[in-house]
Amino acid sequence: MNEFATPALSEEIKALLVETLMLPQAPGQLVDDQPLFGPGGLGLDSVDALQIVVALDKAYGLKIKDVGEAQAILKSVATIASAVHQHRSV
Amino acid sequence: MNRVILITGANGGLGLAIARAFIEQSADHRVWLGVRSRRERADAMASEFPGACRVVSLDVTSPEAWAQAVQAVTDRDGRLDVLVNNAGRHEDSLLATMTPAAWSNVIDANLDSVFHGCQAVLPGMIHRRWGRIVNVASLSALLAPAGQANYAAAKAGVVALTHALAKETARIGITVNAVCPGYIETEALEALSPERRAAAVAQVPMRRFGQPREVAAAVRFLAGDDASYVTGATLKIDGGIL
Repeated sequence: MNEFATPALSEEIKALLVETLMLPQAPGQLVDDQPLFGPGGLGLDSVDALQIVVALDKAYGLKIKDVGEAQAILKSVATIASAVHQHRSV
Repeated sequence: MNRVILITGANGGLGLAIARAFIEQSADHRVWLGVRSRRERADAMASEFPGACRVVSLDVTSPEAWAQAVQAVTDRDGRLDVLVNNAGRHEDSLLATMTPAAWSNVIDANLDSVFHGCQAVLPGMIHRRWGRIVNVASLSALLAPAGQANYAAAKAGVVALTHALAKETARIGITVNAVCPGYIETEALEALSPERRAAAVAQVPMRRFGQPREVAAAVRFLAGDDASYVTGATLKIDGGIL
């Protein structure tokens, strides 16, 4: 769990991911720090990333401007929740 | 099912025929005519079908203009379901004598415009997990005639963009297809001399030029529910030339 986001926000992000990507898992089965991409992760790909970017914009107004920013924010549920939390605080 | 449809280059014969095809399909469709200049014919169609058809200003080479146009559509109709990238232009000459402006103008208007348009509509389509994009390319993309290096390269780029984007969006419920019209009875052919017209007809196995409505019917099919499993396709509409 990261130091910024609340557990409630993390649960919200998990629900958003499951709905947006039509994942077979229940939101509660996702782990905050589990990598979303790459080995040992959820196995998401670039098309999933695109959908997450659009969903975060629609849900929270969080605009991810470039690939570098996307790679940093979309590492895990925890990093997404942190970015949303910081965006809300601005 | 009613759809919200945006057609670019809707001040020419082909764009207007595509608009009419959608309007004839369902009175519940909302058809937007994207035009940059010479609005008269688009305005006339909007007047003919009040409520079902509207005109929106759109310079397809400008990302900002795309953002504004898509915003105008979604502000009024709540979403944009179908994009038909029909706008285009050509400035034919042999490559050895082609000006850099003629090259870049044609690439901008025919290829960059499709890139900007797709980028503008994709976020909404991805969010709703449904969308149809139909790109009007040209038989020149496949034939690459002498004198059309810029136009053929741009339209071939549109075909390639169509294939690549179709793969990227297939599982999100967004289909992307292209049509490649051959000789179609539009303003471009009206300028031909009788001799050149006869020579052109002679190239067509059907021995006639296509009508705009014959292209429009294919566009409407690709944008409809009946084409739900068709994506990344390039459909020639050329009377059998190729």
